[in-house]
Amino acid sequence: MKLANLPKPVNLDTIAGNLADAVFMIDREMNIAWLNKRAEEFFNISFEAARGIKITELTAIKKMESLIQDVFDQKEALRCSYEEASVKVKRLNERYFFKIAINPVFHEDKLWGALVQLTDVTRFHEMEKIKTDFVSIVSHEFRTPLTTIIVGVEMLKEGMLGDLTPRGKEVLEAIISDCERLNRLIDNLMELSRIESGTIYVEAEATDVTDLVQEAVRPLKFQAEKQGVELITDLPPELPPVAADFNKAVWVMANLVGNAMRYTDPGGTITVRVRQRGKRLFFSVEDTGCGIPKENMEKIFRKYVQVSGPGRKGAGGVGLGLAIAKDIVMAHGGEIWVDSEIGKGTTFTFTFPVYQGDQSVILPEADRKGV
Amino acid sequence: MAKKVLLVEDEKNIILGVRTCLDAVGYQVEIVEDGEEALTAVSKEHPDLILLDLLLPKVDGFEVLKVLKGNPATSSIPIIVLTAKAEEEDRQRALDLGADNYMTKPFKPQDLWDRLKHFLSE
Repeated sequence: MKLANLPKPVNLDTIAGNLADAVFMIDREMNIAWLNKRAEEFFNISFEAARGIKITELTAIKKMESLIQDVFDQKEALRCSYEEASVKVKRLNERYFFKIAINPVFHEDKLWGALVQLTDVTRFHEMEKIKTDFVSIVSHEFRTPLTTIIVGVEMLKEGMLGDLTPRGKEVLEAIISDCERLNRLIDNLMELSRIESGTIYVEAEATDVTDLVQEAVRPLKFQAEKQGVELITDLPPELPPVAADFNKAVWVMANLVGNAMRYTDPGGTITVRVRQRGKRLFFSVEDTGCGIPKENMEKIFRKYVQVSGPGRKGAGGVGLGLAIAKDIVMAHGGEIWVDSEIGKGTTFTFTFPVYQGDQSVILPEADRKGV
Repeated sequence: MAKKVLLVEDEKNIILGVRTCLDAVGYQVEIVEDGEEALTAVSKEHPDLILLDLLLPKVDGFEVLKVLKGNPATSSIPIIVLTAKAEEEDRQRALDLGADNYMTKPFKPQDLWDRLKHFLSE
């Protein structure tokens, strides 16, 4: 194969200058030592004028300072998700979203500075927002017709609109249970679109762990009893409060217990446990259900993913609960994971930090609506 | 005498559902389909309670709340908001404007009866 002749001279300037991303080279003081053409264009500054200016000053991206400092401290490239690394830049009344990549630069084995690369993800961001808004509208529009159905069916069931045959009653029960399923789906979609549009804050306050667990478990006790499943809570006394948004934390716990219930047969046990390890509390929900196949264990935290356990096709879930739970836990600075063995059971564990005085965690800046 | 409930709602099917619900337990129901009519109906009908949707033609539910709760002649009439708007901001706004209760759609008849009983018991 014959290679095309490269234009001469091929040097770094030719390559970097023509990149679609804005690229900066900064020194240890975060001053700009070099920038490419795209960076000059975007920030409307000449190469000469930009040199020596602090990068945070030129780009007006506040969070960049701590991200760069992290890279300097760790001497490792910035490794974080799209959400964490995306920032908002204002230019001439237009908003842009960038994904930041930061790589340390070494000179003679010593940290010299960093290479900062900004990728324009504005379009991607807009698409996300359209999707989020759509989900919000759809879930909203579902509520009104569902009201008519639920009110009507409930009144029929109560016999307030005339007598029913036993079979008729059975059919109505089925309709009611599916209405509840639809209702849960709508609530989950709403919750997800709220989280994605960032209109909610996760306000981490000092939250009592016993209150949290009781609030989540209490409404499910009756159902567990009816289903013949034992629901146990195992909380050591004198746990410190966690830094958590009470309602959101309760939601996560209730969701995990609800899931466990769907996959646990009569005679089984669900155990809710809380343990402290250092500055974190570990909350776990253990069931004696059918277990999750290994190949599905990573997938289950993704949105709209449903997996079926042996003999349980979907079990009435909608594939959003765990995705939302993960978003909530991560927004608190915690982690969530699953351990499972087929035929033996599944344990979901999540962590919340121990409350350490006044602090509030909010979702990533770039993903908040109206900023 | 039967208690009089003013239902402010523009969706025909919801009107049928709520009316059936209220008839079943013996309340008298008056219905208006937009916010403007609601404001005139209140002074004419003197309802004991108002069930108010938020997304309404002409004058929206928030405005109706503001007017009724801001007027000493009508501010004591309990208002239950009945809406598909489930966002926390909307709930807060309605409560700040003086709504006595906030119900999101969908709801069960029992929820509605319980609340009506609460606000209409002597």
